[in-house]
Amino acid sequence: MSAGKTVLRVENVTMQFGGVVAIDNLSMDVHEGEIVALIGPNGAGKTTAFNCITGVYEPTNGAVYFDDQLIAVNHPSGRMKRAYAGQNGTMYAGKHVHLTPDKITKRGIARTFQNIRLFKSQTAFENVLIATHLRKKSNVFTATFRLNHKEERAMREKAMELLKIVGLDDVADEKATSLPYGKQRRLEIARALATEPKLLLLDEPAAGMNPQETDELGAFIKDIKERFNLTVFMIEHHMNLVMDVSDRIYVIDFGKQIAQGTPAEVRDNPAVIAAYLGVDDE
Amino acid sequence: MKKQSVAKPIVSALVVALIFVLAWLAEKTNGSSSMLVTVLKKGAVYALIAVSMNLLNGFTGLFSLGQAGFMLVGAYTYAIFTIPLAKRVAVYQYYAGGCVGVELNFVVALILAGVVAALFAALIGFPVLRLKSDYLAIATLGFAEIIRAIVQWDSLGPVTNGSNLLKTYPTFNSIMPKDMSVLFPFIVAGVCIALILLLINSTYGRAFKAIRDDEIAAEAMGVNLFHHKQMAFVISSFFAGVGGALLAMYQGSLQANAFKSSMTYEILLIVVIGGMGSVSGSVIASFLFIACSEWWLRFLDNTTFIGDFQIPLLGSGFRMVVFSVVIMVVVLFFRRGLMGDRELWELRCAPRRANKGVKA
Repeated sequence: MSAGKTVLRVENVTMQFGGVVAIDNLSMDVHEGEIVALIGPNGAGKTTAFNCITGVYEPTNGAVYFDDQLIAVNHPSGRMKRAYAGQNGTMYAGKHVHLTPDKITKRGIARTFQNIRLFKSQTAFENVLIATHLRKKSNVFTATFRLNHKEERAMREKAMELLKIVGLDDVADEKATSLPYGKQRRLEIARALATEPKLLLLDEPAAGMNPQETDELGAFIKDIKERFNLTVFMIEHHMNLVMDVSDRIYVIDFGKQIAQGTPAEVRDNPAVIAAYLGVDDE
Repeated sequence: MKKQSVAKPIVSALVVALIFVLAWLAEKTNGSSSMLVTVLKKGAVYALIAVSMNLLNGFTGLFSLGQAGFMLVGAYTYAIFTIPLAKRVAVYQYYAGGCVGVELNFVVALILAGVVAALFAALIGFPVLRLKSDYLAIATLGFAEIIRAIVQWDSLGPVTNGSNLLKTYPTFNSIMPKDMSVLFPFIVAGVCIALILLLINSTYGRAFKAIRDDEIAAEAMGVNLFHHKQMAFVISSFFAGVGGALLAMYQGSLQANAFKSSMTYEILLIVVIGGMGSVSGSVIASFLFIACSEWWLRFLDNTTFIGDFQIPLLGSGFRMVVFSVVIMVVVLFFRRGLMGDRELWELRCAPRRANKGVKA
């Protein structure tokens, strides 16, 4: 697309666990202001790719750039060391970067989880409030002695505003886990937005939603993308949603990229039909 | 809403004042050495220690069993720096009066006790906090046992007096006016618990609870796990150190052997009975526990006769059997403890207002 600069670049990333190659030499680019979808059959390595981007895993090989800065680079460990010693070795030599997930979130990548991970004992409001902790300026002493009450109030206002935007302000005081499934998904998005991201990674945001909720979600994703000036990268199985909202699509199978392009291109790609859409009931 | 925010501190201040007055009256009417006052003093000390353990185990989700070790560090720091210089020759009789030539004011020494315990926590936190659940518990338990052995080490005698008693340092009775000794542990524990409450309800406290609920999600939301765990560990140990110093003041004499792992288990029992994640639960449970162990259940340890009939089982050590049964019953049937993760003042109220502090 004629979009802006590259926000996220995944470069020849391989992730190997023992004998299993979860991602195999995968390269992807996400440009500013785009909605990009990552699709593929179950077990294709989609969530593993997200985990490499967000620092949960360190890729066995390859590199990930965010805003032109290296955030993850090949780091074969244990027995992988010998196998991957030569590959790309010179390219990333001396460039060891290890960022924990919180540091990557601080740089501006926020995510949601495939199997919802809300803070169970907390209310919906508190769940969002916790995510504002990242951008605090107070230290533990000023926070304890309430010298940061202005910041505290700003945090609470921001959390409440985000709940309003995702339409959950009426259930702000309910325990997060007592909410219906669709609302929990929205709450996770609100929580991710509270970290003030540039890039939002959504891991199957429509999983478990009914068709009507899924339609609403599509409009919702477009809406927050405009409102917060975001770039969205999402994993999704609902083809209607993917075709509806995404600017571009990457298709992977067995950890390898098998196709990429606009929704129309991907829909007609025989490899994709064989690997994925062919088994779909539509 | 505005009315509520003004009324709340006033009500809590009144309640706290009432508790202080009642404690003072108890001492006034019963005398300083009565059982009631003894229980109140020790209960206040244990309340602080239990809350400090709850901060770590209940609010941050780090299952640490090093509490006795940090209490020991705090107690020894306090005693070593407050024994009057003139009496050191008598106390350190085997070590030529010891080698610490400083005597500090007891308030300064109390704070120093916390600081030294916190320093130890910061040091051992680096390797230990990378461990999870059971492994963390074993490592911290190991630390507590090691520090107890080191303190009794003969080569450190000039500082710690080896395995001999430390005594003649200021106690509750010696620093407070007559019939007011109970107020000192109440004031110190009250201030410390208030600080912990403020911390728990701050943005850092929320981050601690996030780590407890879901480490992976907390990290993905930008909470630096190691940094925050270390912070909780150090702060908890600071207050455990202060609590240890208070315990030394309560006992009047100090020996490392008293700080065994069974002491940690006592505190853990209090935390579990009170409810993991409830400050008021820990406070209530510690007074109950101390009252039972020191007073109400004492009869279990005495051989008792009704007429010629000796009541079976009652005898030395039976009290601990009863406590063990209590632990099992609590863990099996009342896992949430007295308060669960709620506070006393939240019980009656409607669900907490989310937009508290936000102008409507």
